[in-house]
Amino acid sequence: MNVKSEASRNFSRRGFLGLTAAAAAVPLLAACGGGSSSSSAGGAIKFWDMPWATPAYNEAAKKITEGFSGANSQASYQTIQWNNFYQTFSSAIASKTGPAVSTGGGFQAFQFDQQGQIAYADKVVEALKKNGQFDDFLPGVLEPFKSDKGYVAVPWQLDMRPLWYRKSLFDQAGVAVPTDWPSLLDAGKKLKGIGAVGFATGSGAGNNIGNHLMIMMMINNGGGVFTKDGQLDVMNDRNVEAIEFLLELVSNGVIDPAAVSYTTDNLDAQWKNKKAAFGMYVLGVPQRVGDTSGDLLVASPMAGPHGDKATLVFPNNIMMYKNTPSQDASEAFLVYYMGQLKQLWQQKLMNALPVFKSITELPEFASDPNNVKIVKEYQPIAKTFAAQGTSLNANLAVLDGGQALNQFTQTILTGKTDAKSALTAFQTGLQSVLKK
Amino acid sequence: MSSTTTQSGLARARRGVAPGGSGGGNVNRKSKLSGQTRRTFFWLLLPSIVLLILINGYPLIYAGVQATHDGSLIDTGNFVGVDNFATVLSSPAFWKAAQFTLWFTIVGVFGSWLVGLGLALLLRTKIPAGGTFKVLLLLPWVVPIVVSSTAWNWLVATPDSLIPSIFRNLGLGTPLFLADPHLAAVMVMVFKVWVSFPFMMMMISAALASVDTTVYEAASMDGASKWQQFTQITLPMIARSTYISWILMTIFCVNDFPTIYLLTGGGPVDATTSLVVLAYRSVFQDFQTGPGVAIAFLMTLTLVVVSVLLYRQIRKSSVE
Repeated sequence: MNVKSEASRNFSRRGFLGLTAAAAAVPLLAACGGGSSSSSAGGAIKFWDMPWATPAYNEAAKKITEGFSGANSQASYQTIQWNNFYQTFSSAIASKTGPAVSTGGGFQAFQFDQQGQIAYADKVVEALKKNGQFDDFLPGVLEPFKSDKGYVAVPWQLDMRPLWYRKSLFDQAGVAVPTDWPSLLDAGKKLKGIGAVGFATGSGAGNNIGNHLMIMMMINNGGGVFTKDGQLDVMNDRNVEAIEFLLELVSNGVIDPAAVSYTTDNLDAQWKNKKAAFGMYVLGVPQRVGDTSGDLLVASPMAGPHGDKATLVFPNNIMMYKNTPSQDASEAFLVYYMGQLKQLWQQKLMNALPVFKSITELPEFASDPNNVKIVKEYQPIAKTFAAQGTSLNANLAVLDGGQALNQFTQTILTGKTDAKSALTAFQTGLQSVLKK
Repeated sequence: MSSTTTQSGLARARRGVAPGGSGGGNVNRKSKLSGQTRRTFFWLLLPSIVLLILINGYPLIYAGVQATHDGSLIDTGNFVGVDNFATVLSSPAFWKAAQFTLWFTIVGVFGSWLVGLGLALLLRTKIPAGGTFKVLLLLPWVVPIVVSSTAWNWLVATPDSLIPSIFRNLGLGTPLFLADPHLAAVMVMVFKVWVSFPFMMMMISAALASVDTTVYEAASMDGASKWQQFTQITLPMIARSTYISWILMTIFCVNDFPTIYLLTGGGPVDATTSLVVLAYRSVFQDFQTGPGVAIAFLMTLTLVVVSVLLYRQIRKSSVE
């Protein structure tokens, strides 16, 4: 008996090709989507929300959502994971099973507006004017959402990028916390002497902090990737100067030579293990790394060489979609939800800044001196990815986390380049993917 | 013993023929099915056919539409013919990713095969606690990739991680395994071999289990050395499994997204960006749906060609 010949009969060429084609189709299937969609919740307003904080946050948001009863409608709540969220939203919207209202990526509203899927929030803004919440907005947080056609979304929280420092490491190194770029370089060299990192960052798998640092340093120097009217402006002198300074930090070891590969876990570990002394990071670092001893503090904004001060902010927003059982109900829900936001900060579930002055004054928020400092010193000078302009648009989504910025960041962090070459490549990369 | 006798014994052994055996026949009679039976077969198969069309056919066709249009995931946009393919093929990033994919696949396939073969042969011998070893060796394949990539990150990512610390203590400097483009590429390939060798080991073990041990006895009696037995009995006897495992591993490597993306994200500076990572970035980070799907199509085409070539080898290995 020849086993091979028996198997050979069962393994025909045609069968093999079918198997191969099916297996080979995997990348196609991966590339062409297939994101999740939810079943329709009948006439209720479907609200999709991201996991912005711990699971307790989503529980609280669900409770708020389910408390809605207006415009003869109810609301249902669904958490959407960040993983492939754009794919999830896109496929659901394409199949008309998407939400009526949602949170999402910082520039998502502009992306879907570009594709004709967003319902403008002008009536919501009018309602907020009537109930007093419009005047409660912190300065400058609502304006970026106003397009030629109307408000594409309403902001509900601010994701800021302040500077943090570990006091004990500065004490150990005997240096003051940097207040400008030269003092950062000087302090960084001394911190390196005690084995600490003078300007912590990272751009490894899934970590966009390094990307944000590049833009932050540009706008901290009065530069930015776009002009005031939204045209690409990568090669301006302020950007070149900022990148030259970052390369100087790299060459002096003030930025960790391994930073290019650091994930957010690696970065958290540096802050937790008293290795990181200073750096731009997200809000709530002490809570994030589990060190609330008071040693991790927010530093004041640094001044650039021309006296500019700025940091990066992502005004996260809530948007409405055209596919809704009732536009009136969508608007009523959004007005209702904005009115309930303070509960999330009262319960200390948010690591982000609120958009309402009244929430910043809540004792639960104001009892954290880091929060107060960020609101007082950073919020007024914070700029979006759109800097040097202020208007948000869909192109910013391509900039944020796109290949061009990521490659640029990693090139800078490896230090094997010069500023103009890296910026030129960055500009070319952006030009090839930005919508004209 | 003459060499002719040895060769004769090895030739018989390669065919899986025990000493004195007949060798069997390659019976390949096609059964004649009646029209009624054929119709029954058709109706029984129909649900599967419909499912296959829905699951594989529709996405393939839709992907084809997207690859020839300039739209998004929501709106396919305007027909642009082969423009997306031209864009992709004229992009240096595509060729850099293709080059990395090629190396990743070659190392992934042959590295995991060599390690798998070595361990499969080792496990064939009587070693203490062999069963426990088998279970332990399967772990890299069984553990979810997100867990193993995190573990590898802990081992190598920072200067204070375990392996760089060992290098430093040995006076070999502090290698930045994921921060240096060349080391990161090597590290991703080593990780892939580590994740994949249990699969190869299982395939080869299964093939080896079907080999009659008397074949080796016959070859040994004919004077064949251990190396001759390995090269002229073992390898030919597992050739079929080897080619099949190579095809599957080639597909696994070319399509492998999580191994690379979780460990390095394709960096640093695109040093570990494979074609599937590039396709993902194009669609979901740069929102360039057409070019991204075009990359996926080119990958599929390449895989089919490679698989057909390897399939021919399988058929050759079946020829008596």
